[in-house]
Amino acid sequence: MTVADRERKEHDAPIAVPIVDSPPHEQPVAWRHRHLLDVDTLSWPEIELVMRTTDAMREVLSRPIAKVPALRGRNVTILFYEASTRTRVSFEVAAKNLSADVVNIAAATSSVTKGESLVDTVRTVEALGAQMLVIRHPVSGAPYLAAETFSGSVLNGGDGWHAHPTQALLDLYTLRSRLPGAPAASLDGRKVVILGDVLHSRVARSNVWTLTAAGADVWLCGPATLLRGLDAWALRGAAGRRFHVTTSVDEALRDADAVMALRIQKERMAAGLLPSLREYAARYGLTRERLARARPEAVVLHPGPMNEGVEIAPDVAAGTQSLIEEQVRNGVAVRMALLYLLAGVRSA
Amino acid sequence: MSAIAPTAAEIGAVVADLEISRAWLVDRASGREGPGEIVVSDGVLEAVTWLDAGEAEGVDERGVVVAPGFVDLHAHLREPGNEDAETVASGLAAAAHGGFTTVCAMPNTTPALDDPAVLAQVAAAAAASGSPVRALAWGAISAGRAGETLAALGELADAGVVGFSDDGAPVASASVMRNALAYAGALGLPVVEHAEDPTLTAGAEANDGYVATVLGLRGWPAAAEEAAVARDLALLADVVRDVPGSRLHLTHLSTAGALDLVRRAKAAGLPVTCDVTPHHLALSDEWLAGSRRWAWEGSGDPWGDGSGAMTAAPYASSLRVNPPLRSVADAAACREALLDGTADAIATDHAPHASVDKDVEFGLSANGISGLETALGLVLALVDAGLVPLARAIEALTLGPARVLGSRWGDGAGSGLVEGAPADLVVFDRSATWRVEADALASRGKNTPLIGRELSGVVLLTVAGGRLAYEAPQGS
Repeated sequence: MTVADRERKEHDAPIAVPIVDSPPHEQPVAWRHRHLLDVDTLSWPEIELVMRTTDAMREVLSRPIAKVPALRGRNVTILFYEASTRTRVSFEVAAKNLSADVVNIAAATSSVTKGESLVDTVRTVEALGAQMLVIRHPVSGAPYLAAETFSGSVLNGGDGWHAHPTQALLDLYTLRSRLPGAPAASLDGRKVVILGDVLHSRVARSNVWTLTAAGADVWLCGPATLLRGLDAWALRGAAGRRFHVTTSVDEALRDADAVMALRIQKERMAAGLLPSLREYAARYGLTRERLARARPEAVVLHPGPMNEGVEIAPDVAAGTQSLIEEQVRNGVAVRMALLYLLAGVRSA
Repeated sequence: MSAIAPTAAEIGAVVADLEISRAWLVDRASGREGPGEIVVSDGVLEAVTWLDAGEAEGVDERGVVVAPGFVDLHAHLREPGNEDAETVASGLAAAAHGGFTTVCAMPNTTPALDDPAVLAQVAAAAAASGSPVRALAWGAISAGRAGETLAALGELADAGVVGFSDDGAPVASASVMRNALAYAGALGLPVVEHAEDPTLTAGAEANDGYVATVLGLRGWPAAAEEAAVARDLALLADVVRDVPGSRLHLTHLSTAGALDLVRRAKAAGLPVTCDVTPHHLALSDEWLAGSRRWAWEGSGDPWGDGSGAMTAAPYASSLRVNPPLRSVADAAACREALLDGTADAIATDHAPHASVDKDVEFGLSANGISGLETALGLVLALVDAGLVPLARAIEALTLGPARVLGSRWGDGAGSGLVEGAPADLVVFDRSATWRVEADALASRGKNTPLIGRELSGVVLLTVAGGRLAYEAPQGS
């Protein structure tokens, strides 16, 4: 029995659902992590708490006025060093739904281009009143440097190839809400395939941690050049939880319960990692024919933005099995949940 | 309270009168180690007395040790051009604090040391520093270290460089490398190669392997070092037929495969030598994940082995270094190479940086560890763990690098505890420890992942060429 299994068993007792209309620090369940930098340090009960809190946020979002005063008067600063629409807006909407004051900084338009260091920028936004900082950065590990400097909470909105914690948690939430047993389906033994450019993907790395923690049978699939090094990880496992790596799309998709296609970037051709997008689409694109190898009720995810016709066929992206829009909706609820939990952090 | 009496001398002054009794003497030049006493008078090592078993009661190798002054084949002193990071004066002070009495500066300064005028500038700075630590220098292989045309090798040799290196970067062109080996060989000087195939390491951040994969860091594959070493050995075999004096020294080797190539080349009789660094011996890529255990304590899987290895935050930029910290298996291979003589020397690759270049995102930070002052402590960690005999460790810091330098430059350095010669020695106390703190470092480069860590082996005294280079503060 793995550590995660034990944690799941021990935690069969229901977790108190947070009362999201109250201030975060009045919660019966304490969140012990000041920052959300990675998912590898989250225990299964903590992941469960995020899921329950997200349920509560979904309920808020269904109200006629989808807003609670939980973070009123708090400043959430969103500092993005990389272009992004979906994640940035999702964090912004989430923070505003909790009545926080939101400051948006796109690093390209700040003094960062003049050579100000990350440490100086973080000090500056803190002096300007930031209490929670959402950061996205192209260099792996950059949020850890921000967290060292910042006296409030740092949420990782995606760093380099390393981690995208809120995406992995929203993917997990989305799968639980749609697989058999929903709305809190167990992923135990469910075959989940992550298909495409795994090497460069922070979404894939974070999903390895959360999906294996949930007991899923995780398969990483793509061209050999985009799976470099993953075998060595799969053999050791994520904290000992094994997963699979294959270049065979047929083997990966056979009887799969869920398939997550990853974005292919044009730079990969220039770097000599792939011959062409055409060849990629022909060999690894998620088409209707390929999806037919999976279980009939299998679901399809994509973290976005999509290259339709490359890693995913348009009819699959828009098809009945697709949960892509649901992911976006859940993204707001998950980020509300995480902002809320972190705002209520109690030091150990 | 220091274990030895103060010398009452100023830094740089001749050590008039020094007596160290009942210490553990290590002298690989004479092949001896054991309990003994030394007397220094007017800068000269007047007497070396070996005690017999009856007199040596209570003296062992775990207390005060006297050894020949250490020789570092590989240090970046940054002057001229980057004096924020280090100056010749601060670098020599760091060397003395670390027990080194000879330091070979790398030529990747700004401008590069590809011309005798730059060498003269370094020599003048060393003289002005007042430090008695001997400052030697490598000249560049290629003009401007650009890898295209040869630097003024003959003029540099005449001016007194110890050999040639484009360190910091490999010599990418095989034909430039071949010509450098031949030309330098005819001058009787070695070529020092930083072995890296740059087409495999563009943008690389960390050792290509499990830890980098999990952390999402761009990988620096072992194959990039091994391919470069294989190429250089093939070139050496080619050149040495025409120019028997050609010598290749491979610096900071870090992978099991590269060391094995050198092992086989040596067995085949090729004139090749190599060094490993203290950090590649003692640390591993596990540290990038937040582990802080020695390489030999590591499992290779800091996430999965359930030992609670993660005691620090991941991505500490002080760990970014080129070649990168390798796997625990590679660290073990460095140790093996040290034990079987494949590695001739331990060299620090002392690479000081200003905080503006280091206190940034991991992938944007400069490569390098400030290493002169922690080298002894890291090496003694291996000795303390019973992995390397003290005598072999001392040899790799003294006689080994002196032999790499050859008779022209090596003879005066690390030559041993020779009666009648100027005293050139280090005294350290293995029974004492010190905490690495920024303020405790003489180097301007405070960029070491060992900040906050206790190291064993406190340098009490460093005497270079008969003059005082460093003395531990009394009462400390």
